Amino acid sequence: MKPNDAVIQVSDLSLYIDTTILDHINLSIPRGAVVGLVGRNGAGKSTLLRCMVGLTEPTQGAAKLLGCPALDLSDPVRERLGYVAQTPDLFEWMEVHEHLRAIGRAYPRWNEERCLVLACRLGLPMGGRVKNLSVGDQQKLAVVLALAHDPDVLLLDEPVSNLDPMTRNEFMRSLFVDRRLGEETDERGVLDAERTIVISSHLLSDLERVVSHVAFIRQGRLQLFEAWDAMLEHFRLIPQPGSDLPRAAVVCQNPAAAQCVIDTRLAPVWADKGRALSLDELFMELNS
Amino acid sequence: MNFDIFPNAPTPIYRQIVEQVRRLVASGQMRPGDDLPSVRVVALHHAINPMTVSKAYSLLETEGLLERRRGVGMVIAKSMSKSSRQDKLALLQPTLLSAAQVTRELGISDAQAMAAFQTCLNEWTPKETP
Repeated sequence: MKPNDAVIQVSDLSLYIDTTILDHINLSIPRGAVVGLVGRNGAGKSTLLRCMVGLTEPTQGAAKLLGCPALDLSDPVRERLGYVAQTPDLFEWMEVHEHLRAIGRAYPRWNEERCLVLACRLGLPMGGRVKNLSVGDQQKLAVVLALAHDPDVLLLDEPVSNLDPMTRNEFMRSLFVDRRLGEETDERGVLDAERTIVISSHLLSDLERVVSHVAFIRQGRLQLFEAWDAMLEHFRLIPQPGSDLPRAAVVCQNPAAAQCVIDTRLAPVWADKGRALSLDELFMELNS
Repeated sequence: MNFDIFPNAPTPIYRQIVEQVRRLVASGQMRPGDDLPSVRVVALHHAINPMTVSKAYSLLETEGLLERRRGVGMVIAKSMSKSSRQDKLALLQPTLLSAAQVTRELGISDAQAMAAFQTCLNEWTPKETP
C-alpha cells in the first residue's frame, strides 16, 4: 500500500434487503483521518461500518481496508484493525479480566500494560462477570478490547452512547494516546504513526472535538463528506436566496424554514450574508 | 499556560489556537524564546485531536511566529520583533467589524455606538500581572 492510498476505500457500494439500505456509496478515507459518521436512526451507518469490516456482504460494489478486500481480510490486516459493534458480542460468562486476557491472546500486538491503563482511565471494573456489568461498563469493555492492540484502523459504532460526559472525554483522549508519534516505519519504510478512525455517533458535540472529517449519510446515501474545518469555515446558513446564487453552491435547502446552507467557496459574494453552523445545526439542516 | 478552546464554537479549533497565539505575542504576554505547551499536553487537556493542535502550530511556524526546536518543541520565534502598532490594529479589526455589523442591524446611531465603546474602554482595567 502506498502512503497516499486510502486506508478505507468504499466503491459504489449498495445493499438491498427487501428495500434499499445502502445506495451507491463511494468513500475514500485517507490515512490519519478521524471521520464522524452521522445520520438519523436507520440511515445506514451501522450497516456501512459492517460492510467496511467485512461483516456484511454488499449486494453490489466493495469495500477495501488497508488495500485488502473487506470480505477477505488477511491476518496481518485483521491484526491492525479495531472494531466496536453497536451491540458488542462479549463473552458474558467470563469475568472482565479473563475476557481481556482471552482476547489479548489472539493479538500479537496486544499490550497488557496499555490494556490496563485504558481500563483504568475509563473506569472499567475488572472483577465480576461480564453479564452483570451495566450497559455503560460493557461499552467500556468493548472499547478497551478494540484499542488494546493499538490498531492502525479503528471503526466504532456508537461507542459512547451510554457513557457519562467525563468518561466520554477520557474515551476521546484514549483514541490518540500511546501512538508511536511519527517515528516508526512499517516493513516497507512507510511512516505509519497515524491511526485512522471512523466513529458513528449521535453525540455531535463530542465529535466536534476530534473529527477531521464528517460523513453525512441519509437514507442509505452519502450526502456529504468533507473536512470539518472546511465545512465550519465555508458553509453558511442563509435566508432563502434569490436567483443570483449559483445552484452549485447550495449544499441543502430547507423550504419549510425558508433557509439554505451554501458553500461560500462557490459563492464568495455571499460569504458575509449568513452565519456558521455547528455540527448539530448542519445535521438538522441536512435532514430537514 | 494553556489555551482557551471551545470545541463547539463556530470557529475551527485550529483557528482558535492560531488566533490566541497571535494575540499573546502581539500583547507581549509571550516573548521570543518562550515555550508553547506540547501538542500532546494541549490535546490531552482539552480531549481534542492532536492533529488539530499540530495543524495550528505548523501554520504559525510557516508564518514565522513559531520556531521548532529539537527536543524542546515549539517556541516563539526569536526573529519576532515587538509587534508594531499596525499589527495590533489588525488584530482588533475583526472584533470591531462584528460590532459594526450588530450596530447596523440594530439601527443604533454611530454616535451612540461610539459612546458605548468609550464606556467599555473606560470600564475595562487590565488584569494585574504579578
